[in-house]
Amino acid sequence: MDKVIVANIEKCLACKSCELACALAHSKSKILEEAVAESPKPQRMVTVEAVEEFAVPIQCRHCEAAPCVEICPTGAVQRQSEEAPVIIDADLCIGCKLCMLICPFGVLQISPQGRAVIKCDMCLERLEKGQEPACVEACPTGAMKLVSLKEVLKEKRSKASKQLAEETQTKKKARARKNRK
Amino acid sequence: MRRIVIIGGSAAGMMAAIAAAEESPDVEVTVVTQDRTPYRRPATPALIGGYITDPAEIRVFSPETLARHNIKLICPAGATNIDPQNKVISIQHDGRKERLSYDAAVIATGGHPLMPSIAGADKKGVCSFTTYEGAAEIADRARSASCAVVIGAGFIALEVAEALMHKGLDVYFNVRTRMLRKLLEPDVSEFLCHEFSRKGLKMLTSEEISEIGGEDRVEYVVHKSRKIATNLVVMGTGTKPNVGLAAGCGIKTGPSGAIKVDNRMQTSIENIYAAGDCAESPDLATGKSIYSPVGSIGASAGKIAGRNAAGANQKTKGFLRAQADEILGMQIYSIGHSSTTAKEVNLTVKVHNIDAHQLGHRSRTTKPFEIAKLLTDTNDRIVGAQLVAKKYGSQFARQLYVAVLHGPNKEEFLEQFNWPRIKLAEALLDAARSVVVVESVGQGEALALANIPSHKKINQQCED
Repeated sequence: MDKVIVANIEKCLACKSCELACALAHSKSKILEEAVAESPKPQRMVTVEAVEEFAVPIQCRHCEAAPCVEICPTGAVQRQSEEAPVIIDADLCIGCKLCMLICPFGVLQISPQGRAVIKCDMCLERLEKGQEPACVEACPTGAMKLVSLKEVLKEKRSKASKQLAEETQTKKKARARKNRK
Repeated sequence: MRRIVIIGGSAAGMMAAIAAAEESPDVEVTVVTQDRTPYRRPATPALIGGYITDPAEIRVFSPETLARHNIKLICPAGATNIDPQNKVISIQHDGRKERLSYDAAVIATGGHPLMPSIAGADKKGVCSFTTYEGAAEIADRARSASCAVVIGAGFIALEVAEALMHKGLDVYFNVRTRMLRKLLEPDVSEFLCHEFSRKGLKMLTSEEISEIGGEDRVEYVVHKSRKIATNLVVMGTGTKPNVGLAAGCGIKTGPSGAIKVDNRMQTSIENIYAAGDCAESPDLATGKSIYSPVGSIGASAGKIAGRNAAGANQKTKGFLRAQADEILGMQIYSIGHSSTTAKEVNLTVKVHNIDAHQLGHRSRTTKPFEIAKLLTDTNDRIVGAQLVAKKYGSQFARQLYVAVLHGPNKEEFLEQFNWPRIKLAEALLDAARSVVVVESVGQGEALALANIPSHKKINQQCED
């Protein structure tokens, strides 16, 4: 999967805007004033955890070899294609909680209503409309970002090679100066 | 066209139907079920908690899903008889009798609540939660009651107790032997009992309630000759296999009373398969038959039954029971055998207490989990694991699951416990940092988005 949501915890203020936006994006009405009164209560799939001096927004990582997909006995936890996020088909979820047991991040949860497992779907609905995931859009400091792995890798390679080239350049100049002396 | 009839529309039956339809295009699959709509069974506590009011909200295996697989659903209908000679199943549907011919059948009739023989258990106000109607009755009575007594020891009984507590009721919890006896070791049970009573669940331990009293409806229960006034008694005392239909046509049952099956989930009669809470299933550690009425095993066994009914020849090595739940702030995991279930299959086990320091946890002040246990057999192979944690239990549970599934020995496991750092805060931070790495120019950091230790394939429970 190429697109991933990443969090820069140095920028996270723990304002929990992402949590609110997530719940709102997964509500029936998608309107804040109405969503708060909705029953069942809209649930958030991203959680801001307090860890020492940091606030860490954490949600499903949409693992490549996703243990939750492998362990699900009914095929409810699934991925439509290699490029798609891991989603839950509630219609197939029998509530056995095996995915919650196996998830290394503890980001799957049972919804208080219905008791199917719920998790981050990367805001598929919004992505299709060309919008960013709700948590990313809501983040006031830009701590959360939707990035393309390929692009990030490319950028990273180019930065690293530039750095390498600059270092070599400096060394070269230093050598030249030394030689002149 | 191979005609496959499946009796029962819960996890095992529906997964059998879907697997059969996926196995071969040349099958005609019919599911006969008593439920008006198939629903998620573990959802009943949510009904009691007032989160749902209609079975449609917890519906699973919707008509659309079934239509996608060309599965025909007959409901509400009950199968009354199987005639294996002529391969005909008689059913009662809409007050009419019908006969369905089959080439292969799957029995997934599930279980009944096991009712203990307590005097007065037939009184009004004594409910069980295995059906939607039962749970609805509990929800209804909870509205006017101020006190409830839950008798039982399973996860769902505990969830029901928790839901009733949230409704503001005084909840007494009666365990006849000990808490989660089949899943946990005695000291873990005791620890949970202590924790739950601290959270306000009133434990009635060591003895069964001796009497449920009142005129025609419940007014009080008697425990250790003490009278407790209540209008609501919830029975959650376990499941007994529903084998009437199978026994009626001569299908053999095992020592547990559930339908005996081979490693293809076939019963003693050819072309009749069984799965779910009505049947035994092979145990992964020993290959012996065991009765595990658990949804995930039902679904997995149902898939094998369905495929074989459709003409495949799939054998199972056995199923691994793994259960997880969070009750009153305690995450509880039980994977594989406990000393209780090991006894059922004559497996000699040793129970080991695992403390966090053995796993590399350095801090003396923080505790990553409350209790962890490993069970090993005589070859020192891990056959079971239990864990109680307040938070992030799943991070340990997955390691335990893989260990039990692949059965390394205890020393090997402790050595290879491939946690980056055991301190959970650090593990979490790590997970977050490893994603941040992509933003900075790294010095050879791996672009490990998820800090997942490489794991062996998880679904190795089946072989073709």
